[in-house]
This record gives sequence, C-alpha cells and structure tokens, in this order.
Amino acid sequence: MKLSVCIKQVPDVSAPISIKDGTLSQDSDRMVLDAYSASAVEEALVLTEKHGGEVQVVLVGPEKAKETIRKALAMGAASGVHIQVDDISGLDSSAFAEILAAWHKKSEYDAILTGKQSQDTDAGLTGGMLAWSLELPFAANAVGLEFENGSFIVKRQGDSGQEMVELKAPCLITCSNDMNDPRIPSLKGIMQSKRKPVETVTPADLGVDIASLSSDSKTERTGFKEVPGREPGKKFEGEAEEMVSNLMNLLENEAKVL
Amino acid sequence: MAKNSFNTDDALQFESMLNEDDRMIMETARDYAQSKLEPRACEGNQDEIFDPAIPKEMADLNLLGAVIPEEYGGIGASYTAYGLIAREIERVDSSYRSFLSVQSSLVMHPINQFGTEEQKRKYLPKLATAELIGCFGLTEPDHGSDPGSMVTTATKTSGGWVLNGAKMWITNSPIADIAIVWAKAKNAGSDDGKIMGFIVEKDYDGFSAPTTHNKMSLRASHTGELIFEDVFVPEENVFPEIRGLKGPFTCLNSARYGIAWGSVGAAENCYHRARQYVMERKQFGYPLAANQLIQTKLANMLTDITQMQLLAWRLGNLKDQGKDHPSMTSLAKRNNCGKALDIARVARDMLGGNGITGEYRVIHHMVNLESVNTYEGTYDIHGLILGRDITGIQAFTPRGNDMPAPNGAARKQPEAAASN
Repeated sequence: MKLSVCIKQVPDVSAPISIKDGTLSQDSDRMVLDAYSASAVEEALVLTEKHGGEVQVVLVGPEKAKETIRKALAMGAASGVHIQVDDISGLDSSAFAEILAAWHKKSEYDAILTGKQSQDTDAGLTGGMLAWSLELPFAANAVGLEFENGSFIVKRQGDSGQEMVELKAPCLITCSNDMNDPRIPSLKGIMQSKRKPVETVTPADLGVDIASLSSDSKTERTGFKEVPGREPGKKFEGEAEEMVSNLMNLLENEAKVL
Repeated sequence: MAKNSFNTDDALQFESMLNEDDRMIMETARDYAQSKLEPRACEGNQDEIFDPAIPKEMADLNLLGAVIPEEYGGIGASYTAYGLIAREIERVDSSYRSFLSVQSSLVMHPINQFGTEEQKRKYLPKLATAELIGCFGLTEPDHGSDPGSMVTTATKTSGGWVLNGAKMWITNSPIADIAIVWAKAKNAGSDDGKIMGFIVEKDYDGFSAPTTHNKMSLRASHTGELIFEDVFVPEENVFPEIRGLKGPFTCLNSARYGIAWGSVGAAENCYHRARQYVMERKQFGYPLAANQLIQTKLANMLTDITQMQLLAWRLGNLKDQGKDHPSMTSLAKRNNCGKALDIARVARDMLGGNGITGEYRVIHHMVNLESVNTYEGTYDIHGLILGRDITGIQAFTPRGNDMPAPNGAARKQPEAAASN
C-alpha cells in the first residue's frame, strides 16, 4: 500500500502573535508541522504498519519548510516530496490544491490523506478541491480509518453521529485531529530522518505557473481583526424574589425566549 | 522591507540560531514534556509521586544520555541538544529534569568517560533504555561543598574493594539499580587516600538506600541515602584510571551545564504564568498588567531570561566545539539558577493569593529552584570558584583566623572545594 500524505508547515500556535492595523504579525519564527497533518501522518503510519507499504509526505512551501518534512520522516514516513515555493502568502486553498494535483497526476498512490483543515487558516478546502481535481472518491473529517479488501473504510464524524463510508482505492480522505494522538518522534528517528530521501521539485517542473496562480487568486484577504471581547453578563442583586422577577422580565422582554 | 518583529518569549531570537537537529530534538522534548509530564506535575508535587513509567517514556524517545555515542545506546546528540532537553523538561518540573540529569550526566557520562570497555557495554545500553536506573554518590552528611574531606572509604582487599560510609541527598537513590560512588582508597599502596570511583549494584551485600522524607522541594523526585556496611565491590566495577576529585567534578560539570539550561525553562514558565495571570486578573477595574509596578517586573523577567538564554546557548556552543572551561559552567549555573529563583519569587508575588496554591504551579517552581540553586555547587561556592579565577586567591577556607586541624597537625590547603 502506498499512502501519500499532504502536510503543511504552520506557525506554532503557542508562540505569540499579534494583530496591528489589520496586519497579522508573527513574533516568532517557530514553524511547526500542522496538527491535522500530523494526525494524517500518524494514521497513514498505523495503516502501513498493519498492512505493509509505505508513506510518502508531500509539502508545498519555502526552503525552511524542509524541517517539517523531516519531522514527518522522523515520525516514520519513508520519503518526502518538497514542492518548493518560496512565498506562499499569495496562495489560497485552490492554489494549493492545483499544485498538489499536478504532483499527484504524476505519481502513484492507493490513497491521499490530508488534514481536514490546517491550523494557520482553518479554511478546510484544499482536501476537497484536490479530490475534485483528481476525480477521486472523497471523505472528509475522518476519525477512523481501516483497509479491507482493497477499500478504505472511513469513520466520519458528523454533528450528531458517525458515518461509515467505504471508498475504493485510489481515494482521498481528510483527517480530523480527533483521529489519533500523533507519535512524538524519537531522537533516533530524528537522526535517521536525515538519511531518508527528499525529492525537491518546483511548480514549473510540474507545469504550474506559480506567478499567475498568485495573481489570479480566487480569493483576496482584506485584513485581520482581533476576536471581539465578550460583553460582561448581567448581575442581579437584592432579595431572591426581586432577582427572579428581574430575570423573568429580561427573559421575556429582552431575550424574548419565554 | 518586512517589519522586524519582537518576540516576547525569545527577545534576542536565540532559537533562530539553533541548527535543525537541535531544534527538532527541542520540539520532541517539548511535545513530550507538555503532553505527558505537565498533566502529572501538580499531583506529583503535592503527593510526592514520581510515576515509575516516566523513565521508560523518556528512554523510548532517546532522551536519556542523548550525547552518548550510538554504539553504547545514545544517539550522539550535541551538548546544545542535551541542554535544550533539560530546558523543556524543567519547564514542567525540576524534579523530572533532576532524574534525567542524574541518569545522563552523573551516571552514563562517568561510565562513558572513565569506564572500561566491559563496563560501558554492560551498563550504558541498559541505562539508555531505562532498564537500569542510576544514581551518583559524592555528598556525605558532613561533607557537602567540601567533598575532598569525605570519610567514605574503599579498602583494598583480594579481588576488589570494601566500601564503608554513607552518602546523602542522592537523587534517584531509592529506585536506583546502580550507584556511581566516590570513596577514599585505603590500604591501596600509591593510591592511598585518593578518591576513586566505583559502580555499586543494588543487591551487593551490606548496601542500602533509604528514602529521605519530608522534602519541601523536588517532591516528585526520589531522594535518599546510600549506606555502605562492608560492601564488597569486585575489581571489574572500579573505574581503572581516574583518581582524585577530578572524577566526580567532571560529572558535576556536565550536570551543572544541564542545570544552567534547565533553570531557563523553569524561569520561562514562571514568567509565562505571571504574564497570563496579570493580563486576566482585574483589580480596581483594570488588569493588573496595566500597572507600572507589574510592567517593570515583567520587563525585568524578560531581560533576565534573555540573558539566561544567551548564556546557556553560548556555553552549549563552546561545549560543542570543545572550547568550554569548567568556570564558564560555574558562571552559567550560578547566574541562571540565582536569576530563575528570583524570577519565581517575583512571579509568586504577582499571583497574589492564587500564587500560594499548587494549581498555578509558580510556587512549585519556586520551592524546586531553592534546591536547584543549592545542589551541584551552591550559588556561593560557584561565586568562590569564579572569585579564585579572578583574583588567583582561594577563599574556600577563612584567612587570618586559622584553626588548628583536629589532630593537631598543620592544616592542609583544601583541594579547592567544588572546583575542577
């Protein structure tokens, strides 16, 4: 079984960030493997450990993002593909999907796994768009994955229950971070990851014109805003009867829930 | 040009100077410490629990003895990486870092440095996998900063040595399978009176390791004594060549280096917790952080932490290049532990009444750091080491007020306490 996992490098969410004049300022250069991607890598490793085969990770990003590929290799992936794009700031979900589709049209796999979204934008679109581009059977928000008789059995999380979906290989599955607890790479794994193959390609090698992808972007980011602070709640004081009557009054006339 | 940023966790961006291996190792240590150790820390401290699963967990990630060569079970990591591991573990609890420091620097390091090939092959791989846990016996009930005057003896006998005496304040001793013990040779010809190193196994006759109770600091780490009553140690468990205080001091130097890094983690955690608290806590209608008194405290913390980070990072750099000197480690250990303790005390104060409870964890770091500032060479002893380097005059013993030695003989100059 060959599993291709699309991973992303994102800013460490525990590092300080601030928003000033509508611009996002990341005060740390600490970049990490996206947590949803990590769950996808973990699930792929578990499947190949059980059924044989190998995991390849694919990443679109600048030179510095190689470190994130190494992290996935240190976890146990066999090889990596680095589609080097020095400035990803102009790329939206659809652009990422187009670049990843160009790579996967040239490669072989039984399934593609991605995070259901990534921690930086939380857009959650690339996986679905990639499946559409490659015309693959697709299931999103997986919390469980099995492989039986050439098919992938996906357990999907819904609002009020779980759905089991069978997808014939090749297919694409986006993974929830509730799916597993990604392994922490051992120091031995980190050292061994240096010896694992990483192929570097450019979008041009894949026939993708990165400049027009940026300039013809389907979305435009207009700014960032702080999450608005919550209004303080109302506090009643006085005798119990008085407080209940005040509460009833507000529920009836202000909130209009009674 | 993009606007440069200011990172209030890493003001002078020391992490950006780390190489890829070291940064990845730091991430592994951080992920482990935050996901597996942090949830146990509060209870561990309150109820004096060192979860027996912890050594194996650390070993599975190769965090124990990481700098030891691969052939003996380590991974040949850099000293910088070892320091970064200590920082991440101590960010949670100095107790856990103490366990790791002892296993790595005070047990695996001396075996690797002074041991025979047989000793290395017998013990190091099992120490790396935590099948064996080790401890280190130098300090005695009456001999702390002045280990040269130790009274534990090793008497040469046929086929080995017989140990008598006691060691105190020994991290890991109640759970240790082996102890690296330093004792003065007797009946040993030219080695008579010299300090020698021994690997003592826990089931040797006459050896016991009782627990030290009622500690108010490092409560999640095991501490105890080592008692030797005619303990026979076979010749193959003696370090063959190392003699004198150089042996134990080489180990301490390595451990102190880790402590210089570890205290950075504890200080950073106190600063983060205090910062978060004063941003959220409102009094007189404003967050505490809106007060000048609070802001300058935070500024002092960040300034001190930045110095501590840069000091530790530079020392690691020099160690990796083989250009370090023990006095550099003294300087860093002294500065970083002292500063960390100050930061913890101020953070405790900033949290007011809440700072008294274990849940906020700042007082936990504070009492831990009292030990960390004291062990492996107290703040003052490292001051005397540096003072001697600066002036050329040793001041470990008082001058101009010499007391006669107990046996009436002329007093010998000390073998420079805690020096190298």
